[in-house]
Amino acid sequence: MSGAEDRRAPPPGRAAARRPVAPRLGRGLLLAAFSLLFVLYVAGPVAWLVSSSLQTEAQATAVPPNWLPPEPTLANFEAIFRAAERVVTYETRRQGDPATGGFLPTGAQNLLPSLRNSLVVGLWVAALNLLLSLTAAYAIAVIDFRGRRATLYTVLATRVIPDIALVVPLFLVIRALGLINSLAALVVTYLAVTVPFTIFILISYFEGIPRDLYRAARVDGCGHWGALRQVYLPLSLPALVAALTFAFLTSWNEFVFALVLTQNVEAQTLPIVISGFVMDFTTSFSFVNAAGVIAIVPPVLLAVLFQRYIVSGLTAGAVKG
Amino acid sequence: MPRLGYDERAAALLVFPVVAVLLVVAAFPILYSFWVSLHDVVLTRPLRRPFVGLDNYLRVFADERFWIAVARTTVYTVVTVAATTVLAVLVALLLNEAFPGQRLLNALLLLPWATPSVVNGLMWKWIYDPSYGLLNGLLVQLGVLERYRAWLGDPDLTLLLIANAAVWKQMPLAALLLIVTMKAIPEDLYRAAKVDGAGAFRRFLHVTLPALRPGLMLVLVYETMISIRHFDLFLIMTQGGPGDASFTLSWFIYVETFRSLRFGTGAALSYILAMATFLLSYLFIRFLGRRL
Amino acid sequence: MATIVCEGLTKRYGAVTALEALDLTIAHGEFMVLLGPSGCGKTTTLNLIAGLEEASAGRLLFDGRDVTWLPPHRREVAMVFQSYALYPNKTVFENIAFPLRLRRTPRAGIERAVRAAAEQLEIAHLLDRRPHQLSGGQRQRVALGRAIVRNPAAFLMDEPLSNLDAALRLSMRSLIKRLHHQLRATFVYVTHDQAEAMTLADRIAVMRGGLIQQLDTPEGIYERPANLFVAGFLGSPPINLIEGRIEDGAFRRAELRLPAPRAEPGREVVLGLRPEDVEAPAPHLIPLAGRVELVSPLGSDTYAEVSGPAGTSLTLRVPKGWRVREGEGIEVGVDPARLHLFDRASERRIA
Ligand SMILES: Nc1ncnc2c1ncn2[C@@H]1O[C@H](COP(=O)(O)OP(=O)(O)O)[C@@H](O)[C@H]1O
Ligand SMILES: [Mg+2]
Repeated sequence: MSGAEDRRAPPPGRAAARRPVAPRLGRGLLLAAFSLLFVLYVAGPVAWLVSSSLQTEAQATAVPPNWLPPEPTLANFEAIFRAAERVVTYETRRQGDPATGGFLPTGAQNLLPSLRNSLVVGLWVAALNLLLSLTAAYAIAVIDFRGRRATLYTVLATRVIPDIALVVPLFLVIRALGLINSLAALVVTYLAVTVPFTIFILISYFEGIPRDLYRAARVDGCGHWGALRQVYLPLSLPALVAALTFAFLTSWNEFVFALVLTQNVEAQTLPIVISGFVMDFTTSFSFVNAAGVIAIVPPVLLAVLFQRYIVSGLTAGAVKG
Repeated sequence: MPRLGYDERAAALLVFPVVAVLLVVAAFPILYSFWVSLHDVVLTRPLRRPFVGLDNYLRVFADERFWIAVARTTVYTVVTVAATTVLAVLVALLLNEAFPGQRLLNALLLLPWATPSVVNGLMWKWIYDPSYGLLNGLLVQLGVLERYRAWLGDPDLTLLLIANAAVWKQMPLAALLLIVTMKAIPEDLYRAAKVDGAGAFRRFLHVTLPALRPGLMLVLVYETMISIRHFDLFLIMTQGGPGDASFTLSWFIYVETFRSLRFGTGAALSYILAMATFLLSYLFIRFLGRRL
Repeated sequence: MATIVCEGLTKRYGAVTALEALDLTIAHGEFMVLLGPSGCGKTTTLNLIAGLEEASAGRLLFDGRDVTWLPPHRREVAMVFQSYALYPNKTVFENIAFPLRLRRTPRAGIERAVRAAAEQLEIAHLLDRRPHQLSGGQRQRVALGRAIVRNPAAFLMDEPLSNLDAALRLSMRSLIKRLHHQLRATFVYVTHDQAEAMTLADRIAVMRGGLIQQLDTPEGIYERPANLFVAGFLGSPPINLIEGRIEDGAFRRAELRLPAPRAEPGREVVLGLRPEDVEAPAPHLIPLAGRVELVSPLGSDTYAEVSGPAGTSLTLRVPKGWRVREGEGIEVGVDPARLHLFDRASERRIA
């Protein structure tokens, strides 16, 4: 029997003779059971977060809990998007609000601006990160120059130091530059965080592009800039998409640096404002949960949209070890 | 070849922007941080910053909080890395199979990975909530638990519960790396093992596991480096508490620096943590790389 | 079109010396073939000529102009690769047009030049396709098109036919030869295939270990191999080599004795006899007898493995019209003028 034939399912008659049905049924059941466990573990917590964000405070804090919203309501989200119109005073908080159980946090109106800050920072970081990494990755992957290994190791080594260890000196540097509490400070910082990883991904990808294509381009008349633009750029779109997504997600999710480098609504990003809610014991759970859902939506959308690229990008270096 | 050719000039130009940015935002802070760790820098006293040599380091080593933090960090890291790895292997085995819906599960795998750590923290905090949390509700409804309890308030459980949140977020990347490694195992190896009469478990033990070595290696090193420096979850969920139950090194650095404003010792702590991370990954690669 | 001069051209990769002080002059319009086994430095030589690698030492001149430090895009050479190296994201038309676009050739000029090149290579009907929609032979034609569409100083070809199947290789070989005649350009052609080298070359440079072993016309290389390596590398089936020593103006090995008047006595030597250099016995020839062990008929020719005198094992071409059977005896004649003698120690040709 040839190898190709071997791989295909054998005809039913012989299959029945050779392989009893029971093990295959067993395999199916086992797979189904493990899949169910997997889905519960991975999606359960988020599902619960979403579910409680669609409940009123009273419903969300019921005992026993309401697994599904009894009457799904968008009131919490409405509260977030209308927070700016309201002046939160001691009076209004005491008075209560049917949707939020009356505990609208003081910083509620910061949420939308921080959402905007997060977006702006994320987009800038993604774009600049790509520009910077692209040229450097090309040089390191393609050009044989003195100091090439040293450059690569230096770039990667900057990621070995824990963020929390960088926070202090970075805070001092940013302060010296007069950039504390500015989006620019965040953008520059996140570039330092994301660029090494992007360079790493792009190098892995570039090294997979046949060297002869580079040779052909150079002989045909491209300089290095030309080879980058005409050959490497169009051929590495998947890696570029992955890099853009990573950069955006990283800056969207980042917390420690933003915590230290920003002070108010001018520059605070979504995680900072949300963490403020979480630590404010008077905040209503349903409101915080709705804020959490809002913070999850963009990264998850991006992840699902670019799943293929992300997976290949994330695992690009893994194969080489 | 002492001559600066076209290649080298082009490379210099292409690399310059990145190097410049990294110098300002990474290299300089790293070096500056080292300088700070050798000086007595207190933010409330900005003008006098005397050189104190290794005093900051010595002071840290003499501080009993440091050793508590080391113990907490160790427990937390070991639990997180071990659980992440085991779970990732299981998930990778599942997703490496071909079955209907497998692609959907693959997409779902990215959900925890994409979730911001702050949201991850608040989500689990909400699940663990002493008065309204899902965990309490579930266990009481199942009859496992009599009454609601304050999960995160239990010093024996705090670290484990935080670790659980971390594992939830970290497992997907580890699983992805392992899946890629598994996909690279030649099908022939499995056929040969089958012909030799090996059952599914033996095939896992003798074919899959050895071939997974490089992937597992990467996962172990990476997860250790990441977990040992976790901070976000601790700030959101427990702030080092209750008592010192979740007082890890990262949290210590934060408290020392931004609450006590003692930058010198904070930087020394940072360097100790960085060195430990470095050393650990080196040891991993050195010793496990051969045997695993 | 250009004359290419390599002066002491050297390339080192760390401890590895890929190319050792190469001196080579390739005349304007010449078809130069670099022939040698894998790893002997052929590609390195092409890369240096193209400027894709920087020389570790030595000079490179195009028409007397020093181009050693000129980057490839300023050298005006065209290159064809074993892997074709077509841009996968561009159509055939755009692939061929690419060098012209980079030179800012006017649109109409590009259109005309690409069409002309495509006609010449019989790929005009493929212009809208993408590389992955083409067969190997078609791809290599596109790659040739990309080379001939401009007017380069030289065409550099790195084993362009090695990825093609045998039949296609033959027709592409003649296509390349035709192109050389039409273009009258300088060709530097790399191959490890001796048949390609022999049919295409004006001159062949046989290389080994980064050094040129012999530089000569195909006939010269075949008739007068400069050393054992060259003798062994060319010819199929390969040349028979017999170790022995010179005594009384003859090559001696046990009872085997072949005249070698010009060699100095007492020397340890290796005698080379090409399988095809035997004929039916005749008075002016030296007789050579043995027993047939194996017969390999190839259709056009028949070769026999013969256990000859003094424990030698020889591959011989059976003269036309003969019938030989395994296990039977055979006797042929050898023209002493067609014997090759090499010094065993230096491996160099004697006389
Ligand atoms: N980039 C490189 N780094 C190190 N060694 C190389 C490199 N390129 C070629 N070499 C070495 O140089 C020698 C000649 O290689 P090459 O010119 O490619 O041979 P050929 O084309 O004749 O097969 C080989 O030994 C090869 O291993
Ligand atoms: Mg080669």
